[in-house]
Amino acid sequence: MELQIKNLSKTYANGVQALKDVSLQIPKGMFGLLGPNGAGKSSLMRTIATLQEPDTGTIHLGDIDVLKEKDEVRKVLGYLPQEFGVYPRVSAETLLDHLAVLKGIANGKERKELVEALLHKTNLWGARKKNLGGYSGGMKQRFGIAQALISSPRLIIVDEPTAGLDPAERNRFLNLLSELGENTVVILSTHIVDDVKELCTNMAIINRGEVMLEGNPLKTIDAIQGKVWSKGVEKFELEDYKHQHTVISERLIAGKPEIHVFADEQPDPSFESLKADLEDVYFSKIFGEVEAAPEAIVNQ
Amino acid sequence: MWLHILKFELQYRSKRPATYIYFGILFLMAFLAITTDVVTIGGGAGLVKENAPLTIANMMVILSAFMMMITSAIMGVGVLRDFEHNTESLMFSNPISKYDYLIGRFLGSYIVTVFAFSGVLLGFMLGEFMPWRDADKLLPFNSWNYLHPFIYFVLPNLFFTGVLFFFTGALSRKMMVVYIQWIVLFVLYQTTVILTREIDNRALAGILDPFSLRTIGNATQYWTVAEQNTMTVPIEGTVLINRLLWLGIGILIAIVGSISFSFNVVKNSWFKKKSKGEEEVSKTNIEVPQIQLQLGLSTYLMQIWKQAVFYFKYVVRGIPFLAISLFGLVLMITNSFFIGRVFGTYTYPTTALILELITGGFTVFFIVIIVFYSGELIWRERDVKINLIQDSLPIPDFVGLISKFLGMIMVFTVMLFGLMLSGVLIQAFRGYYEFNLGVYFTTLFTETMSVLILFTLLGFFIQVMVNNKFLGHAVMIVFFIVSIVLEVVGVEHGLFQFGSGDLGPYSDMNGFGHFVTSFSWFDLYWLAFTVFLFALSVVFAVRGAEAAMKWRWHIGKLRLTKPLLTFGFTAFCVFGLSGCYIYYNTNVLNGYANSDELEALQADYERAYKQYEYLPQPKVTSVNMKVELYPETRDYVASGYYILENQEDEPISDVHVQLQIGKDYHYDYVRFGRESKIKEAADRFKYYIHELDEPLLPGDTTLLEFKMRFETLGFKETAEATAVLHNGTFFNNTEFPSIGYAAAAELSSDDDRKDNDLEPKDRMLPRDDKRGLSRNFLTDDSNGIDFEIVIGTSYDQIAIAPGYLQRQWQEKDRNYFHYQMEEQMMPFFSIVSADYEVMKDKMSIRVDSIQKEIDLEIYYHDGHEYNLASMMEAMKKSFDYFSTHFSPYQYRQMRILEFPRYASFAQSFANTVPFSEGIGFMIEVEDEDDVDVSYFVTAHELAHQWWGHQLFPADVQGSAVLTESLAQYSALMVMKQVYTQDHMQEFLKEELNRYLRGRSREQKKELPLVLAENQNYIHYGKGANIMFTLQDYVGEDSVNAALRRLLNDWGGQKGLDQEGRYATTIDLMGYIRDVTPDSMQNMVTDMFEKIVLFENKLESATYAETENGFKVAIELDVQKVEADSIGYTHNVEVNDWIDVGVYAENDEGDEVLVYLKKHKISERTTSILVETEKEPVRVGIDPLYKLIDRNPDDNIKSVNKSEEAI
Repeated sequence: MELQIKNLSKTYANGVQALKDVSLQIPKGMFGLLGPNGAGKSSLMRTIATLQEPDTGTIHLGDIDVLKEKDEVRKVLGYLPQEFGVYPRVSAETLLDHLAVLKGIANGKERKELVEALLHKTNLWGARKKNLGGYSGGMKQRFGIAQALISSPRLIIVDEPTAGLDPAERNRFLNLLSELGENTVVILSTHIVDDVKELCTNMAIINRGEVMLEGNPLKTIDAIQGKVWSKGVEKFELEDYKHQHTVISERLIAGKPEIHVFADEQPDPSFESLKADLEDVYFSKIFGEVEAAPEAIVNQ
Repeated sequence: MWLHILKFELQYRSKRPATYIYFGILFLMAFLAITTDVVTIGGGAGLVKENAPLTIANMMVILSAFMMMITSAIMGVGVLRDFEHNTESLMFSNPISKYDYLIGRFLGSYIVTVFAFSGVLLGFMLGEFMPWRDADKLLPFNSWNYLHPFIYFVLPNLFFTGVLFFFTGALSRKMMVVYIQWIVLFVLYQTTVILTREIDNRALAGILDPFSLRTIGNATQYWTVAEQNTMTVPIEGTVLINRLLWLGIGILIAIVGSISFSFNVVKNSWFKKKSKGEEEVSKTNIEVPQIQLQLGLSTYLMQIWKQAVFYFKYVVRGIPFLAISLFGLVLMITNSFFIGRVFGTYTYPTTALILELITGGFTVFFIVIIVFYSGELIWRERDVKINLIQDSLPIPDFVGLISKFLGMIMVFTVMLFGLMLSGVLIQAFRGYYEFNLGVYFTTLFTETMSVLILFTLLGFFIQVMVNNKFLGHAVMIVFFIVSIVLEVVGVEHGLFQFGSGDLGPYSDMNGFGHFVTSFSWFDLYWLAFTVFLFALSVVFAVRGAEAAMKWRWHIGKLRLTKPLLTFGFTAFCVFGLSGCYIYYNTNVLNGYANSDELEALQADYERAYKQYEYLPQPKVTSVNMKVELYPETRDYVASGYYILENQEDEPISDVHVQLQIGKDYHYDYVRFGRESKIKEAADRFKYYIHELDEPLLPGDTTLLEFKMRFETLGFKETAEATAVLHNGTFFNNTEFPSIGYAAAAELSSDDDRKDNDLEPKDRMLPRDDKRGLSRNFLTDDSNGIDFEIVIGTSYDQIAIAPGYLQRQWQEKDRNYFHYQMEEQMMPFFSIVSADYEVMKDKMSIRVDSIQKEIDLEIYYHDGHEYNLASMMEAMKKSFDYFSTHFSPYQYRQMRILEFPRYASFAQSFANTVPFSEGIGFMIEVEDEDDVDVSYFVTAHELAHQWWGHQLFPADVQGSAVLTESLAQYSALMVMKQVYTQDHMQEFLKEELNRYLRGRSREQKKELPLVLAENQNYIHYGKGANIMFTLQDYVGEDSVNAALRRLLNDWGGQKGLDQEGRYATTIDLMGYIRDVTPDSMQNMVTDMFEKIVLFENKLESATYAETENGFKVAIELDVQKVEADSIGYTHNVEVNDWIDVGVYAENDEGDEVLVYLKKHKISERTTSILVETEKEPVRVGIDPLYKLIDRNPDDNIKSVNKSEEAI
């Protein structure tokens, strides 16, 4: 089963174009959807999750027409929205059971086993009787994934699950995701490059509603290898460099700015060659496209 | 510092559109209220001008109380803004003190509130200048009339409610808690309304009302039209206490609130539970089982059930629900102490009464719950933001809405059971154990539940379509207002009035009666409609992230599955077809007209035929009828004849006959004993002019024969037809053909007449008008009739009409009764039929030293035995007293007949008194001291056998004095034999209140007692008091002697025979004056022929001990005023004998009058000295309230002991 997205476009009532002719092929396995805030990731995710309508375009999950046969999609879908709430005065166990009923698991015994297993799996067993209102952000996200895993979905959509988690919680969460079956289409949207780097076999970078790049993370890194350069600069020089070069990222190292520049050739000797990583790919797509991003990469 | 915060607040608010929207709403509402008919709510009807100061004050206070939601929005937001936007930590970490913060915010919000409510002031003022206002109904513009209530009532109300909302918000940090204060205030207000029902509690009610609506109402309750038009509400007495009390409470709340307010971010709210943690290790390597989804009907049902229980728990655990239910219950229980109060006496708390309490009093709480929770449930998932998760689950679209609906039904079921339990407990607590659980169930789970279902589904639909919770609430409220407005503008038909099914009142006699049919159809109609709306809601419900209508329709089209289409289509068909069936019944079978059309019909009738009002017509001298009643089908067939006699001096050739309009009446024939033809037929009015071929010569007679059928056809729009019933039929001769123009059908209210281009009309003819003098108060059709009737009814019922039973037999499984009256009687008879139990007794009176036996019978419904003994006793005492003091009872039998409680009155026909189930049969006389209303009403009705059936007054001003005031007097005299003076006075207080309230609502003009024009408050209320005072001043024997002479000279046909006219109050006054000593003549003039009121006040009283008792020094202030017809008063000289009384404790410790004597008072301030044997406790002027005094509370005062000798 494969998810095929073709020519998806969506413009909101306020004129914001959330999706511009998006086409993606998403095979089984973990698929990373990388993009900055407001890139259209959530719009895309919601559309796949049957919760939003595109202006044009089609989505197919195997034989299922996602936009029309919503119920068929919902039967095999596990969805963790970017922002979600829980009933604060209900325990995790109760709510999970409740959602399992709504998912369609009518047999009480089976449901109990499933709920218990999911609570163990997501390391919430100890806190299962606790009201969800008292959950930390990480626990809440784990609860979110627990509910998304009810009834072994074949399409799992997790929208920005790691935002706001502390590193330990994030690791725990990513471990959980990594265990998801290989027979499942898992779409992980995130603005954190490392999430994708660590987990995904395929990825797409999306910005302002457009797909900037689609491919295997490692291959995309290869494609820009040798084209990213770094240099430590003074703060007052920063603006000049931004004008003269395609600065894709800047960061402070011990209080001093270091810039990464995207260029086919070494701009000047003061720049050091850098072993590019996924982050550079990402930034080059997001901020580097001004200077005519190479066609080759986009269509890889 | 606080000034800064205040400035910031004002600047912030001045940029918020909400501020101006609130102002705009209030302005518009005020403007519309004052410039349309709504103004009558404030009192501006009849002679009271639409911009009378009191009307303005009432309107303004009502509006400011109702618009409390705006105050709470402004004040609540003022303090909750920081918490809701999570900016409190920014705010509170600034170096400001909490007092600066609170004062600044509060004052800022208060100023904004005042600004918003100045919209009311402006709206009212501007409204006065609108060109379409009727100048006749306006006083010259006076801005003070608007400013006065705004300053004294609106501003303090805003302050108090503002403080309440602000500080409950500040302390709870929850808007919901702010809203709950509405309920608290509403319950408090309702309590004062309940308290107001008892005259003695009115001052208390006035003090307690937080809005001072009742305060104004009770302080001005006796204001005459003139006073209402000229005076602003004086800020004194209870009004002042009320204002100070609530200002004080406001300040107290502010102080306590400020001290308790914590400037701490972490402490979050009052309502938060700590959860306990327990640690158990998770087995994270566990294998998650693979489970197949079982999607199908059984799963969907389970999902619905689980969800419904989930929502049910959510609602019933919510503080708003608990608060609303609790307050509703408190109000209901408070109210239960006053149900069925009739003249200060309790009625047994029958199930029907308790149900009225529930359906009447609790409905508003149901509505609040529905409006609030339909929004909450529709938005439940979105509010907690779990909607995207839940919406992507494979549940069918209808499951969510159905389970929400079912959850609400569970809530209602629990509430209804709770109400039923409370009802039973109230009954048990009052010692009444006839719990009619069947009636509880039937009413609550059909009528009440269906209303709840209708409004819940409507609420869901609105919430789904509007897709904004608060806008949804607003739309609901607008919906209610629109329904009312539609009714006002004439769209009254149940097909357009949402949820119009009405099960009617429950009567023990008639059960739910025929109301069930129309209720069921209207209910089905509206249920089908809301079910259709529900189907639409399913289609348009938001699922996922798309909220725009375009997309909802786009997605909705995918939901139009065959089952849903079938469901919606079926609902729509049921709606349409039941609507057609209802229309067929109400409009085709029965004919329908709204109130405007009916008024127009009345007006047209008057225009066309008023010319014939005094046309000489033959008189009915005999009635002979056969009436076949069919209670099962609610039909009857009446046939028979009248004998008509020409009692005029000229021949009569045209006879005008008025028949019943209404499609359920059919006339097989209406014909005369001689050849005639119809000269003019007005089918629209059922008015027919027959021309006799051979005119009826003076003294000549002929027959009027008729046969008519009354057939109940389906059901009517208004289920008011309660004449012919399954059990408890009661109607009178007005059903049958009458002679000549029916002036009673004319429009009576001048406002209605004006709407229909008719001149205002005089209510009655003056006392010297020959036309009025020649006819009696009941009808101009007849001066008295011979009467004979045969009534057939179903086998289980007894049928009764005036006259004596001649024969009773059964034929074809039906009961027949033949009645005949032995002597001539008033042309006024009733036909009654029901399944009765009978209580029989006998008594005898002396007539000319011969004993005359009288049969006494009470026909009652099985189970209504409570008051039979007391009624029987009242009959004996009454006949005894009246026969001794007035004249012998003319018949040899009296029958009291119970009829269902659709109406609450008793009425006197010859030897027959139909008596409502609702007023006399379920009175609970708790102890000896209570005044027994069934006793009084029985005595009153029996007195009409004299005043109305022996003496028939002329149809001129004051006629009702000769019937009703004299019946009141007679009944009081019977009561006086049984009750103490104090109890009589307790009872008369209710009648005095009736008079004083009545005159403040007079639509035309108040008249002196002897000129009363069928004004209930005068001939009952004032009449009872004046007559009682008269016998106190001139002596009971003297009054009775006067009445005896009146009867002797004018009873029966004597007046007509000897004077050629009927009696008037002029004749009555002659006899009264004859028995009145000279010293009292002026007093009689004041009482009967003028409108005179006293303002008696006890200034002070002190006492000192003497050798043989006590001396009491009393300072009196006595004023006497004379009022004109609209209540302008001027002081007149006091020169009257007035009671002065002294109370002391008797041996049992009760206060009793130890001194009561009349003193001649001829100065405004008078000092008098009296001596008593016992130590005085209290002293009073006119302590038994014999004189008409608008302010009786200051008549009695405690007496102080003086150290010095007096």
